[in-house]
Amino acid sequence: MKNYYSLLNSDWNSAIDQLLNDYLIYAPIKSNNSMDYEPVNPENISEIVYNIPKPTTPLKTFFLPVKENLTTDNSTKIKRIIIGAPNCDIQGLKILDEIYLDKDYIDSLYKQKRDNTILISSSCFEIQEHCHCMTYGIKPYSKEIADISLSHVDQRIHLEVLSEKGVKFITELKNYASVSNSPETEIKDIELKQSKIEYQIINDNIGLPDYNKTGKIVEKANEEIWKKYSSKCVSCGACAAICPTCTCFLLIDKPNFEKVRQLDACQYPGFERVAGDEDALYELSKRFKNRYFCKYVWKPQKFKSLVCTGCGRCIEACIGKINKNDLFKELAN
Amino acid sequence: MSDNPNIYKPIRAKLLEVITESPTIKTFVMEPEEDFSFKTGEFIELTVDGIGEAPFTPSSSPLETKKIEVTVMKTGYVTEYMHNMKAGETLGIRGPFGRGYPIEKFYDKEVLILGGGCGFAPIRSLLYSLAAISDKLRKVTLCYGSKTPDECIYKPYVEQLRNTPKFEVLRTVDIPDETWNESVGVATVLLDKVKVDIKNSVAVCCGPPIMMKFGTIRLLELGFNDDQIYLSMEKNMSCGLGKCGHCMMGKYFVCKDGPVFTYDELKNTPSIWE
Repeated sequence: MKNYYSLLNSDWNSAIDQLLNDYLIYAPIKSNNSMDYEPVNPENISEIVYNIPKPTTPLKTFFLPVKENLTTDNSTKIKRIIIGAPNCDIQGLKILDEIYLDKDYIDSLYKQKRDNTILISSSCFEIQEHCHCMTYGIKPYSKEIADISLSHVDQRIHLEVLSEKGVKFITELKNYASVSNSPETEIKDIELKQSKIEYQIINDNIGLPDYNKTGKIVEKANEEIWKKYSSKCVSCGACAAICPTCTCFLLIDKPNFEKVRQLDACQYPGFERVAGDEDALYELSKRFKNRYFCKYVWKPQKFKSLVCTGCGRCIEACIGKINKNDLFKELAN
Repeated sequence: MSDNPNIYKPIRAKLLEVITESPTIKTFVMEPEEDFSFKTGEFIELTVDGIGEAPFTPSSSPLETKKIEVTVMKTGYVTEYMHNMKAGETLGIRGPFGRGYPIEKFYDKEVLILGGGCGFAPIRSLLYSLAAISDKLRKVTLCYGSKTPDECIYKPYVEQLRNTPKFEVLRTVDIPDETWNESVGVATVLLDKVKVDIKNSVAVCCGPPIMMKFGTIRLLELGFNDDQIYLSMEKNMSCGLGKCGHCMMGKYFVCKDGPVFTYDELKNTPSIWE
């Protein structure tokens, strides 16, 4: 028997209502033209969107807020549940964990947030225009890192347990709802939906080089390529802000030796500037190139985790309409 | 908070003395409020309260545990504030960070040190450490260059070194004055004046990027192997923890994997001298 549990959607909704007594809960909610994580309250539980990619904001911002004071005791004992993260975002946490939970220097604030959060990932049953997770070997559903993988099929919510925290969550859930093991036939249905999406993502991205090739392509690209693709870049940094794996930050000093962390981007002018105004990334095309080297050459040499999970957000967010996949396709041969 | 210490929080250090080394360089002698020790070549992040933080490699001896010194050139926002500070004020210290000089690898060797400008600061700390183990070394030669005689720092210490067995100091300036009776020219010219048993030597290079670049080229021409040359690299080491990303140099975070690297480790990394 697989580790799948299920309950009626209506029971799940009332369980969430109960869980709100002990947890801050976030989930994707649709509004006008976008969908993003919102705090769940008794009124919007029924509006939670399941299995459709993808919230505008990457999951990382729950663990690395855009700005936070690192030295005042703002430790939060508040337990959180995040529902509906797609697997591209979940996989993005791997590199964050490698950096922020590095045993030499554990970031206690980050760790606390990771420890106090139950992650309920949601399988993608649809795809968006720029989704290309499969190209980098990432499935559109979670089997690790998340605590639970959720699939909403017909009137039932199916929860596949992926971690110890997930086991505890199911035990807690049983206090509020009638939870049973998912029948094999329904699990088969879910797996069928998942593999259909896998196939569709592969099909939509034929000709896009995989993660074993991207590094070599970036290393081989000449300066003309970087100039060409950066010609429409305005250094807004949206690609980095929206990226589930970009984690660079500024440390800002406040009186009384306080430190504030603010997410930064190598696309901003001055990212590498040092005292005396030396700046190795002064030219825009160099900053543009730096991001590709970081993601596809340097970090892959340094870390085990992928530094691009194929979510496609950087393509959606770019106001210059720069599509990194055009670059990779152009240089693939 | 959890059991892990807050890696971003500085400890306080009282500024005991400010020594003027040159018109643009001062040494700050500090007494940390908590135990603080470092190995030579490791660096610290120094906070000027409410103003900013900058990385410095201590210029004092690691064997001195009560006090710590940094020697700072006035070049930017934080250092300008520092240059206006007086004894009695409080600074913040985080660290030590990074990988320093592997001095145990220098045993039984000649150590050739090429330094320029404020690059003498980390080198002085190294020299203190080497002096403490001089019985294990063959010889230590310091080749130091600065712009003018006025800009030459640590003058009393240089005199002391010149009277220390096994230690030799050669100095050069770009623009001499009438009192100057040592070499003239860029720091690398001194490399042609020293006699070194290259097979049994290591070279250490610390100074402005341009000096490091041409220094390394000259050392290679002289016959040093890539792994015999130790370079003190500098980037925008902001967090010191291998997290903030500002000091990435190829696959390395200079703050955590360095700041001391062998040339062998860096030679395939693009733009290291920029």
